[in-house]
Order: sequence, then structure tokens, then C-alpha cells
Amino acid sequence: MKHLPKHLRPRWRYVAVGIESWPGADVDRRAFQRALWFAAQNLVGDVGSADIDASLLRFRFADAAGDAVVRARRGEVERLRAVLATIDEIDGEPVGLSVRGTSGTVRACEEKYIRRPPEAFEERNVAFAAAERTASVRGDRVDLDLPEGRVGATALDIRDN
Amino acid sequence: MYEGVHAYPDGRATVARFAKTAAAYGYEGVVVRNHGDAQAEYDPERIGDRYGIDVVPGIEIRTDDPGQAGGLVGNYRSKRTIVCVHGGSLNRFAVEQPAVDVLAHPMADGDVNHVLAKSAAENGVHLEFNFARVLRAEGGERVQAIGALKKLRELVEQYDAPYVVSADAASHLHLEAPRELLALGEAIGFDRGAIESGLAAWGALSDRNRRRREDSFVEPGVRIERRDEE
Repeated sequence: MKHLPKHLRPRWRYVAVGIESWPGADVDRRAFQRALWFAAQNLVGDVGSADIDASLLRFRFADAAGDAVVRARRGEVERLRAVLATIDEIDGEPVGLSVRGTSGTVRACEEKYIRRPPEAFEERNVAFAAAERTASVRGDRVDLDLPEGRVGATALDIRDN
Repeated sequence: MYEGVHAYPDGRATVARFAKTAAAYGYEGVVVRNHGDAQAEYDPERIGDRYGIDVVPGIEIRTDDPGQAGGLVGNYRSKRTIVCVHGGSLNRFAVEQPAVDVLAHPMADGDVNHVLAKSAAENGVHLEFNFARVLRAEGGERVQAIGALKKLRELVEQYDAPYVVSADAASHLHLEAPRELLALGEAIGFDRGAIESGLAAWGALSDRNRRRREDSFVEPGVRIERRDEE
């Protein structure tokens, strides 16, 4: 089919999304895409989903952190933000999504907002609340493995053993 | 803008992790509003200095007995900067207490009507627009939550009651940046300005309460000024 003339082509915005989760979580591209579709469906319905016209262009996830580039129609970025805010788990894994920024081209979006993959976790024994715990440490971030479940902390909360 | 959070052991992130994440998202402060039976141990100044964010000690009083709640409010008023009351059966009690700063999630297991909204406005008790279930529930429960927020919004507008807005995060993964909350608020029928002032209201409350706790404070509107004697 012939391309649309330039002034009639849809205008897009490219939204860079940061993904954070607990150590050991596994989120793949398909699951993220599905979560995005369902979240849009649930929040803004068929009509809104068609308006936003979101699609996932880039996706990377490893070691409980990742990023994605999501394309949306220009003028619909705010609604896409709302949809992204309502994604709190993907495939049963709790995730925290944050919008790092938006750009007019994929390239600008990647150059500005997509960072190098974070360094790997380091498993360590640390002292937290006067007890020894195992933790996954990455820079200032410390994810503790407590009997009651995972707890997010920082270097301020622990003493190294 | 500020956000109210439940930190470990009430939630799944420590105060420091909340402060770190909230600062990265562009918040100016976090209010630690742990429930009374799950208080966190932390040093607000040390954490605040480290991450460049205002850490405000608060509490969310949770009980079924208004008599006991009265005692707890009196007890914690002087110990915490922000005193919240866990909404539900205590809605009526909370809106009648000028000593209460925030009535948390009044629509979660309870209801607000015109009488309560009026009383909240008179006593300066901030009603909370709690986005927890909009963000993290689905299906019928979420539909109800959005409907309840709409009802509360109409009452707040009618009686000009003060309010706060919160995502009610119980872990750093639950936190949402202010822009995301503005967008979500807009999607469910709020003005962007209303969400913004609801997030700012936490900060305004902290400032006011801190001033009140200074030695120079006598009563609202009366303060002892220091004069430099030669």
C-alpha cells in the first residue's frame, strides 16, 4: 500500500519507561506488552486504547531492572502515563514503573533516557535491625530477604558483616 | 509535593528506600504514616540529608474504639508532625477533632456524607483521596473505588473541605511520580490542579505543624518574636 503523505501520517511520541522489581523476578517482552494492553483496556477502554495506540518498541529486562520504549500518539502521552501508573505487576511479579521522559524520535528517546544495564547484584550477609540477613546489594540499593518477605532498603539501613 | 507512605515494618521498604525513590521521582518530602502498631525506627534528619528530601514523622492511628482513638490522638499529637486517622469506622470521630491532620482513606471501609464533609471543613481535617485501589485493584473493586473518589470529590468541592492526595505506597515499587498521579487523576475525572494541591497539602501541613511545635508559638496567629537587645 502506498505510504500516506507526510502531513497525514500519525505523529508519535516515544516514552522511555524504567522498570524495577525484586531480585530474581523475570519479566519478558510479551508479558510486558500484555500488561500494557490490559492496563489500557481496564483504565480507558477500547476507545481510549485505540486513541493512545500504544505499542512496545524496545524492551530490556535483566537482574530485576529494565527499560522499555513505548510509542503513543502525540497528545495521548498523559493518558499513557496514567495507564503505566496502573501497572503494578507483570505476570505475577510486583513491578514499579516510572516514566523517565518522552521524545519525538526513538533515537533521541534511547540516547537520552535509556541507560546502560545496571551492574549485577552482589549477594551479601548484612546486619539489619540487629539480625543477620541475606541481601542483594546493588550500589546504594539493598534488597533484603526477611522471613516475612522481601524488603527494600538502602545502605543507610544496614551494617556489613 | 509530598507523598504519604507506609514504611517497614508496616510496608515493604524502609524509610530510607522510600526517601531515595521519592527524591528520584521529584518529591520534596515523604510523610511516614505507619500504623500505630507497626512503627518504624529511623532518623529523619540523617535520611533526609542523605537523599535531599524532607522526611516527616507521622502516624496513622488505627483502632475501632473512638475513646481509645481520642487518647492516641492526644498522645501522638506532640510526638509526631502529622497525625492521621485510619478511616472507616472512625470517620465521624476524626472529622470532629481539630487535632487530627488527615482522615486517611475515608471511603475504603466507610463513607462520607455532607455532615462529615462540613465538619471536616470546619475543623480543618484533611480528607484523603487515596489512590491505592485505583492503582492496584482491578475489576469491580476498582470501579467502586473510582466511584467513591468521585463522591468524595463532589463533597469536598461543595463544602470546600481540605484534602490530601496519596498513592498510599507500601513499597518503593508502589510509589508513583507526581506527573503519573496527575495523569491518572485526570483520567478518572480530577483537575490536575486538585491533585497537585492535594500532594502539596502534606507539605503545607508539615510546615504548619512544625511551626506550632516551636517554643515561640503561643496559639494560632500568636507567636513570640525575638527582639535583639543592644
